[in-house]
Amino acid sequence: MLPENLKKELQDRIAAVDHPRELVVDVLFALQAHYGFVTDEAVEEAAGLLGMTPMEVDEVATFYTFVYRRPVGKYVIHVCDSVICWLEGGRSLQEYLSQKLSIAPGETTADGLFTLLPVCCIGYCDRAPAMLINKKVYGPLTPETIDQLLDELREAH
Amino acid sequence: MTAQVLFKNRHPDRIATLAEYRHSGGYEALAKVLADSSRQQVQQVLTDAVLLGRGGAAFPAGVKLSTVAADAPYPRYVVCNADEMEPGTFKDRVLIHADPHQLLEGICLAGFAVDAHEGIIFIRPEYEGAARILEREIALAEKEGLLGQNILGSGFDFDIIVHRSGGRYICGEVTAQLNAIMGRRPNPQQPPPYPTEKGLWDRPTVLQNVETLCCMPHIVRNGADWFKGLARTESGAGTKIFGISGRVRRPGCFELPMGVRLSEIIENHAGGMAEGSRFKACLPGGASTGFLPAEHYDIPMDFESLKQAGNRLGTGAIMVFDHRTCLVGVTLNLMEFFARESCGWCTPCREGLPVIRELLREIEEGRGKPEYVGVLKEMGRHLWNAYCAFAPGAAAPLESLLAHFADEVQEHIERKACPFG
Amino acid sequence: MIKLIIDNLRVEVPPGTRVIDAAEQAGIMIPRFCYHPALGAVGACRVCAVQVLEGSCRGIRMSCMIEAEEGMVISTTDEEAVAFRRQVIEWLMANHPHDCPVCDEGGQCLLQDMTVSGGHGRRRLPVKKRTHIDQHLGPLVVHEMNRCIQCYRCVRFYREYAGYTDLGVMGSAGRVYFGRRSDGVLESPFAGNLIDVCPTGVFTDRPSRFKGRYWDFERTPSVCIHCSLGCRVTVNTRYREVVRVEAAHDPQVNGWFICDRGRYGFPYASSPQRPRSARIDGRKSGVDEALDEAARRLSGIAQRHGSGSVALAASGRVCLETLGALTRFGSEKGWRGPFFRAGPRTAEALQSASKNLEEKISISLKDIEKSDFILLVGCDPVNEAPMLALSVRQARRRGAVVALADARSVQLPLDARRLALRPSQLTAALMRFAGKAVADGGAALSDRARGFLQACRDSRVDPAVDEQIDHLGLAARESRRPVVVCGTSAVAPDTPAAAANVARLLAAEGRKAGFFPVLPGANALALGLAGRTADHGAALREALEKGDVRALVVVETNLSELGFSADDPLLENLEALVVCDCLDSAAGRAARVFIPTQTVFEAGGTFVSAEARVREARPAFRGGTPVAQVSGGGHPPRTFSPDIPGADPLPAWQVLAALAREGTRVSADTLRKALPAPLCGAAPGKRLALPASAPDAFQPPEDPATAADGGLEVVVCEHIFGSEPLSRRAACLQELESAPRLGLHPGDAAALQLSAGQRVAVDCGRGVIEGEIEIVNEMARGVLLVPRLRGIDWHAAADGPLVVAVADIRSVKPNGES
Ligand SMILES: Cc1cc2nc3c(=O)[nH]c(=O)nc-3n(C[C@H](O)[C@H](O)[C@H](O)COP(=O)(O)O)c2cc1C
Ligand code: SF4
Ligand code: FES
Repeated sequence: MLPENLKKELQDRIAAVDHPRELVVDVLFALQAHYGFVTDEAVEEAAGLLGMTPMEVDEVATFYTFVYRRPVGKYVIHVCDSVICWLEGGRSLQEYLSQKLSIAPGETTADGLFTLLPVCCIGYCDRAPAMLINKKVYGPLTPETIDQLLDELREAH
Repeated sequence: MTAQVLFKNRHPDRIATLAEYRHSGGYEALAKVLADSSRQQVQQVLTDAVLLGRGGAAFPAGVKLSTVAADAPYPRYVVCNADEMEPGTFKDRVLIHADPHQLLEGICLAGFAVDAHEGIIFIRPEYEGAARILEREIALAEKEGLLGQNILGSGFDFDIIVHRSGGRYICGEVTAQLNAIMGRRPNPQQPPPYPTEKGLWDRPTVLQNVETLCCMPHIVRNGADWFKGLARTESGAGTKIFGISGRVRRPGCFELPMGVRLSEIIENHAGGMAEGSRFKACLPGGASTGFLPAEHYDIPMDFESLKQAGNRLGTGAIMVFDHRTCLVGVTLNLMEFFARESCGWCTPCREGLPVIRELLREIEEGRGKPEYVGVLKEMGRHLWNAYCAFAPGAAAPLESLLAHFADEVQEHIERKACPFG
Repeated sequence: MIKLIIDNLRVEVPPGTRVIDAAEQAGIMIPRFCYHPALGAVGACRVCAVQVLEGSCRGIRMSCMIEAEEGMVISTTDEEAVAFRRQVIEWLMANHPHDCPVCDEGGQCLLQDMTVSGGHGRRRLPVKKRTHIDQHLGPLVVHEMNRCIQCYRCVRFYREYAGYTDLGVMGSAGRVYFGRRSDGVLESPFAGNLIDVCPTGVFTDRPSRFKGRYWDFERTPSVCIHCSLGCRVTVNTRYREVVRVEAAHDPQVNGWFICDRGRYGFPYASSPQRPRSARIDGRKSGVDEALDEAARRLSGIAQRHGSGSVALAASGRVCLETLGALTRFGSEKGWRGPFFRAGPRTAEALQSASKNLEEKISISLKDIEKSDFILLVGCDPVNEAPMLALSVRQARRRGAVVALADARSVQLPLDARRLALRPSQLTAALMRFAGKAVADGGAALSDRARGFLQACRDSRVDPAVDEQIDHLGLAARESRRPVVVCGTSAVAPDTPAAAANVARLLAAEGRKAGFFPVLPGANALALGLAGRTADHGAALREALEKGDVRALVVVETNLSELGFSADDPLLENLEALVVCDCLDSAAGRAARVFIPTQTVFEAGGTFVSAEARVREARPAFRGGTPVAQVSGGGHPPRTFSPDIPGADPLPAWQVLAALAREGTRVSADTLRKALPAPLCGAAPGKRLALPASAPDAFQPPEDPATAADGGLEVVVCEHIFGSEPLSRRAACLQELESAPRLGLHPGDAAALQLSAGQRVAVDCGRGVIEGEIEIVNEMARGVLLVPRLRGIDWHAAADGPLVVAVADIRSVKPNGES
């Protein structure tokens, strides 16, 4: 169940626009932030808020890279696997991450902290090889910077 | 250093402030236009300046604006395309981070030119930082009467909102983007009707790239001739932001005259080729342009010259590959990207690209058969009959690989392994 | 007309024709997957590519996406076009499973055809096939996503065309998935069309799964007889059994689609319970013997009590031939009837609907799609005439205003304006509406019409709704093609006539106005045109009570439709009850003489749909017990005989001829000719020659508003699944039936101190209806909804909107005690 204040906040935003559907991604992001990912229930809630059918919301939700329809960890690592990062050794970095976290791409660590998702070019080719953690960019990466980052995040937790 | 127009206020470590922007002449164009220009005059100066779209398709911006009929219905919209998801491209992000008000003024001017009252910046989720900057600066501009109701006392209203994407490359395509904004599946939609006639919510909508919009205030302020004079070549106009990456010493974004030579960009601005690297080829304008082989190392970088060379300037995102880079591998990586990002609407793209990717993988990993080359050529040609420009974009690197680097492909097949290890 | 050249052939087509259709007219079938004439062009599959040699868009183009232009030159055989089309197929086949041997689509698979004709035969691609997880979508449709070629036809039909929301497309790129958000029964009662619409085997027919292939079936053109619209269907039979029914294209009526009642309603024909032999006083007999015996008893009774002591009863499911036989032999013998409908109200409503259909205002479903204002009065399209709902939806998609005036909370796959009114208010409401919708009536109005218009202007319904009605009337003023659709079961007897009169008024103003009745039964219009108002169940009841009727011949009718229960004590007054039917019914079991009849699949037959269109069903097979039900179901059969087992049933009209001692060799043609005009001129495919003007046109109703003082008007509601006597026997549809509940407005429920789920008994005078209460928002106040579903004794209220006093409603415990 959506907490009242979040619901109210979204309702206010929706009431302020001419076309509620315009906010579907924003609402999904908000629900994702609340639930951790977009649950089936969240799809229905979004539909209710936006005056769409759940199917219409799901058709959109399942389209996008940054809308997670399955559980993810606290930190979602989007590691770029497109051409410039690949050229700069991105593949071995991804393998390094996999090995460090003991997960395959697409998986979440047992402690629920990290999810590793290879994605296409994140627009930081000048900082290749690069990755995003919860939409914050890091690069150019080396095994050392990765070690350090993961340690910091673990500690922060 | 050549003339810096869009990067005039760029600082290595921070965002230009509104005060800095205004100090450098910012919002003067808007003030002038609001005071004494007509919609047609703005359209005309942009047309005369030959401002070609910087988002890849090189469509003349002034012409696009003028296709919104004077008696078209309201509300009308301006959409700023800050999706920038094509591999190798990052100039729009740099532009926003350098001088956000330049973009806001550009959107507002485009709005004035078509009598729109709402601007929407469509931005990819990876650029959350840029999205926040824009939201903050929009609020500032509103406070100073540069946006919002009754701008500069002129009676003209214009609001800008930031629309966050959920993240898919196809959302960069005009019609897909409009669907995305409307909360629908972002499948493209073939015109007619054109968005300038029936776009968002069936209302006239003009969509332009970030860089295109950023050019507008300067053109309006300094005139068409000034803008054309910025270019190095007759065929070009203005400056261009080149984002250079790959095997160069100093990857990054540089504002240079349109028509500057490729060799000059690499050697003078990007610090030359990386240690021990020799230039083999580059993708001159993003992932959906073709490989430009070494024979064109000196080519003037403008739309016309690249067209002559059978290629495209695209977004001006130059990806440089050296003699140790396996271009089959590069193409395989690109096909991986295209296959993953297809919207899934039409057969050539949804089905063709994964098949092409697999054939390239076979070749790259030493399982290629000689007949695959012919199959790939055929399929590359057929990608052009897809529903939108996405799949033809994917065809560009593939077809140029097969045309210019046939030997490299052949070598993979004969050796049953990648020659680059 | 536009002239163009396609493959060196000169083609002429109307402006706006797509090249793919222009080619088809010239006999050139350009391949297509995503294009469907009803769903439009979206350019997704790219298999319809042609070369445009001359025209505004030269080069390889999708023929579904471009319109024919004057002087255009098109080549479909161009080398590049052929190569590209072959490539599209190869790409699609790269992921399509090679499971044709076990796929029910085999033989009628567009992908199969295109693969073969496109010349793609050898696999050159080293790719793994993508796989998906299938969903369970309910008892009708099987889902096998691996076969999908992503033409998007399914979602375009389901969502855009039909207006249901639980099927969609999820994911992107090569991962797009067509299905529901999770497993579950498809909500649309038109879901079966997915099977026809899907060009390959993603959606296939569950009940006929693995029962045979296209080429195994005998395919016969037929007509659906599960409601009054008369949709065209194709009947597939094999091994003496109807295996599958598919939609057949009829541009004027159902277009390309049918509803699930029509598609899955057929299993009654091969039910193991279907009576195949005759019975005399409970003992099995040969059909000839039973016919003889029945004829003997009938003539005996006629001799003893007069020929009028023999009565006939029929229903909306008898065909025109049988109706002809009833008419001819009835009058020859001096028998009474045929009786049909429960009582005077329903009989009158049917008569008023049928007799008011005249040439000028009579329209087709296709016309409804093109109309710009639709007023639905006392009819529930999805449940009473399902395909009508899709026609109304197409009009709505084109911008038509749709309004509905009804006592029920009618559910439509579109948004409509609603007026919740009791049946007794509908006539006055219609008239008030017309008073506003008609501006001045024009100078051309006859005196009678003017009088009617004046009555409309004076009409009052209820201060609470008058304003809404006026709004609606004013909204209709702008319309160029207004249509009034009127039902016959939830209305007052004079409502259909008023609806027709309103259409006439609108037409008199020079608009293209129409009247469309929704009737009870496939041949109800014919019954309405042929029968007499006075011959209804209540009159029969009276005659039985008085002893005027001593013998009853029930032809293809359930006694409940006449307002009788099967154990009605009155039936004991009969000396002879003769039942002729193809169904195993309570009446049949109670019959002294029972004679089995053939179904429409064996006998064929002619029907007249609600829009007065003559529909023909051809015999689909010769009859007999399905092979699966004899000799242990083995095939070929292990026993041999010169006759077809179980083939005793005769067409009902032959049965009637035999009962009248006319011999069974009477021709169907002569029987149709025995009917009164215009029925006697019925020619298949044509519309009946309707009168230019109905005799009672513009007759103002006598006393339009009759309020229900302190009582509740009872409305018997038809459901798409479970109400209609033939289709309710289909096991697959039984799974989809709603729970039978008595509907009340929240306000009435509160006033009666009843809550949802509570059981009540309602004394209707003729019987007691017992059931659970359901609170229904959006329905009218002062109304009790009784579903025509098993588990509810609805026939006790079968004569339309009678009024029950509040005192007659009492709460009961589940076991029936007060
Ligand atoms: C698949 C695809 C992706 C595209 N992505 C972008 C993009 O990210 N940003 C952009 O400005 N234009 C993109 N374009 C080009 C746009 O369709 C359009 O031409 C452009 O935004 C118009 O603006 P301009 O005229 O100012 O360049 C893309 C085109 C295609 C076919
Ligand atoms: S080419 Fe086709 S599948 Fe690809 S993005 Fe365009 S429409 Fe979608
Ligand atoms: S039929 Fe024309 S693209 Fe599918």
